[in-house]
Amino acid sequence: MAILELRDVVKTYGSGENAVEAVKNVSFELEDGEFIALVGPSGSGKTTLLAMIGALLTPTSGEIICGGRQLSELSNGERARFRRDNVGYVFQANNLLPYLTAKENLMVVRSIGGNGPSSASERANELLRELGLEKRASALATALSGGERQRVAIGRALMNDPQFILVDEPTANLDSVRGKQVVESLIKEVKGRNKAGIMVTHDLSMAEMADRILEIRDGQLHTSGPAK
Amino acid sequence: MIGLLEIWRRRFQFVLIALIVTLISYLVLMINGLGVGLNDLAGSALRNWDADGIAYSQAAGLSVIRSELGTETVERIAAAEGVEESAPLGYVAANYRDAEDEIASAAFIGYDPGTIGEPDVINGEALSPSQRDGLLADKSFLKAAGLEVGDTVMVSLRLTSREFQIVGEIDEGAFFFQPAVYVLRSTWQELKYGTTEGVPVASVVLLKGDNLPGMQGDGFEVVDKSTAFANIEGVEGQQSTVTALRWFGYLIGAMVIGVFFYVLTIQKVPQIGVLKAIGASDFFVFRQLLLQVLTLSVAGLAVSVPLAWATEQALGSLPDAVPIAFTTGTYVTTCLALLATAIIGALFSIRQVFKTDPIIALGQQQ
Repeated sequence: MAILELRDVVKTYGSGENAVEAVKNVSFELEDGEFIALVGPSGSGKTTLLAMIGALLTPTSGEIICGGRQLSELSNGERARFRRDNVGYVFQANNLLPYLTAKENLMVVRSIGGNGPSSASERANELLRELGLEKRASALATALSGGERQRVAIGRALMNDPQFILVDEPTANLDSVRGKQVVESLIKEVKGRNKAGIMVTHDLSMAEMADRILEIRDGQLHTSGPAK
Repeated sequence: MIGLLEIWRRRFQFVLIALIVTLISYLVLMINGLGVGLNDLAGSALRNWDADGIAYSQAAGLSVIRSELGTETVERIAAAEGVEESAPLGYVAANYRDAEDEIASAAFIGYDPGTIGEPDVINGEALSPSQRDGLLADKSFLKAAGLEVGDTVMVSLRLTSREFQIVGEIDEGAFFFQPAVYVLRSTWQELKYGTTEGVPVASVVLLKGDNLPGMQGDGFEVVDKSTAFANIEGVEGQQSTVTALRWFGYLIGAMVIGVFFYVLTIQKVPQIGVLKAIGASDFFVFRQLLLQVLTLSVAGLAVSVPLAWATEQALGSLPDAVPIAFTTGTYVTTCLALLATAIIGALFSIRQVFKTDPIIALGQQQ
């Protein structure tokens, strides 16, 4: 069953002669429990596409439907609630709050009103343990290494028990060994919880760990086939 | 609450801001204390009078200095409709020699023992109707003069000098920026006019009864105590000065707190973007900001209020006291006004919070 459906999604920046079509007529479906890798060179529109799926950007035309709702019809406040309740976002630059500890960065999701199973503290401890960070739980975000931060960001994305996870270049700031470790723990967490996910990457070796690879070039979806 | 956690983790920066809040609120408290202190000096004795209304000569334009009432007018006032009790009072400023033989001025108020014009004696004895050379001195008088109950004091007016004995101590305050001294009304007549024959018998008349303020009669008019106070020479200008200073204090407070938090908010735009990207509402983000502003303001006040109190105590122990006084009301209203000021300051930042686009969370590097 598709939990997310994109139909002829277009995103145009600027207008008139200067208009740039960053995403052109993209259509695909994300199945429940499916993990998709979105690959393509930089500037191909993959981050723009991810931002539209995550309700951070509104498509110029086309539809993104999740849970029977058209994302472009939501108000700003409704989109914030949609992100809080349905989406787990892992940003390219982990974007942790620097003055909070690893665990507190996870707990923020609950203080902004996000829901999820069990008490916030237990859930945060459980996620940190699974991500191999239990010893770093009370370290400030600024004291964590790049790989640790990225894993905390994954924990934060899972904290609200989202319908799907969106991951933007999780390995951009990491060396290949650490990058692989992070992606492995990401996939393990997502698969272990039977979540769907979309990961943007330009690294094919990372993409190969996904169920399906979508390739985007110049804003258009080119090939889509099973990775494995 | 992450707003409080942030204060704790970045306590050095926030302590500096709290220090600024402390200094500003201390400044505003001291200005307000000065306002209260100056008003006390101007006429706390008048405010302490036990009266529902004060009758002036109609020709005096509500000036205690210029108001003079004759026997018939005083009798008409006492018989006016609604008047239940009345007490004629006389006022004159006179010089005296203090313990160091220096000349200073005091407000001499003549009253009749047994009327509502009689002050409460807190130390020593009350004046008997025949003690023409006795006086009741306010504690501010004793402090300024360096004298005690039982001492004698030389009073001079109209080219003559007269020795008085300090019979009792009272706590009535000051009048016309001078410490108050109460004498018999006949003594006051002698001080002011040199005789008790054929001269005015009072400056004003204290009245008790219903619906007295606003009453006009033949040769007299009645106002309430606050109108009488506001008409003391100099009070109006003094109050408008203090009010202007106070508003400037609040304005500066709002601007400084506002600017500090605005700068802080701008610095935190990337973090606000992240919070909004993971689903925090504008309201949540602004609530954290408001919580921080209120926490710092309360912390600032928690230091500045005791500091202001201690300053008042320290200044009060100096021989030439600075007129600073605080009432519980001063503290409460000043604190509430400063908190309101801080909230207004925080509102400067609300637009920045709304304006921050969560999309920025995608692009930034740490």
